[in-house]
Amino acid sequence: MSWFDALTEGSVRAIARRTSRRSLLASLGSMLMGASVLPLLPIARGAAAAENPGPDGKSTNANDPNACEYWRHCGIDGFLCGCCGGSASTCPPGTEMSAITWVGTCHNPDDGRMYVVSYNDCCGKSACGRCLCNRNERDTPLYIPFQSNDYDWCSASSEANIAYHCSTSRIVGLAK
Amino acid sequence: MAKRRISVLILYAALTGIGGPWLCAMAAAFEPSVNYMLQCMGCHTPDGSGAAGRVPSIRSTLLPFSAVAAGRQFLVQVPGASQSTLSDAELADLLNWMIESLSNEPRAVVFKRFTGAEVASYRGKPLVEVGATRERLLNATGIEETNK
Repeated sequence: MSWFDALTEGSVRAIARRTSRRSLLASLGSMLMGASVLPLLPIARGAAAAENPGPDGKSTNANDPNACEYWRHCGIDGFLCGCCGGSASTCPPGTEMSAITWVGTCHNPDDGRMYVVSYNDCCGKSACGRCLCNRNERDTPLYIPFQSNDYDWCSASSEANIAYHCSTSRIVGLAK
Repeated sequence: MAKRRISVLILYAALTGIGGPWLCAMAAAFEPSVNYMLQCMGCHTPDGSGAAGRVPSIRSTLLPFSAVAAGRQFLVQVPGASQSTLSDAELADLLNWMIESLSNEPRAVVFKRFTGAEVASYRGKPLVEVGATRERLLNATGIEETNK
């Protein structure tokens, strides 16, 4: 086994000649610092949010389309259709999607891109009443009417003045 | 060593997203097609055909209106265009894109392009009677409206 001892001793001595105790401390310090930064990454924050339901038991998961925090809902003002029998982009049965709508942009944290999102209202049944979400990113006050989302778009649907039920968040393009 | 510290700081900012808002602010200007989506599409619908009885189609009117002086003024002065948050140059690019992309013309569209300076010269004057002005232009250019 003497050849193995000699090999080990040789390699250890070679490492000792090349490196210093300070460099060991420096690399250990970098690893500790790197580990402490990990929870600040968006992925780690997203995973942490997934484990914590909100105070009222509603999901606060940014990846759940029925949660108000979902990235696509960044400019919405209304009841989420996903909680009302539809989805984030489709109307519940028995309602009709308004052709006239409010359009904004939202940042997708997963790919870092901005998307154009159309917030079409679903009309034809009384107000859903579940998952009210009012985030209003890029919304303007009513005195700048063309960029304000405070309107009831159902009043501009094919049937005049039909009831508002809920709102969708449809991706219509990439904001580039 | 100082250089390494700075690079570590930049890496830290990139990892934690501190630089995010600054980078987003730099990329705020959009292409004309995206500006159409953000400024016009909500009412005029994706292909410009509008909603019958409420929002008139722009597909048959864009090109003939752009051929006469009063029509060019109208296209800039309609409230949705003149009161948008776009700059004069961006509004000119958007109007040019709309005429090229949303017109009913089967062939390649030939028209006089809008410039930022031309848009600026019309934009400050408010258009009070939008509907009546549009009716006059329709009569003057002889357009049959398909989507009333």
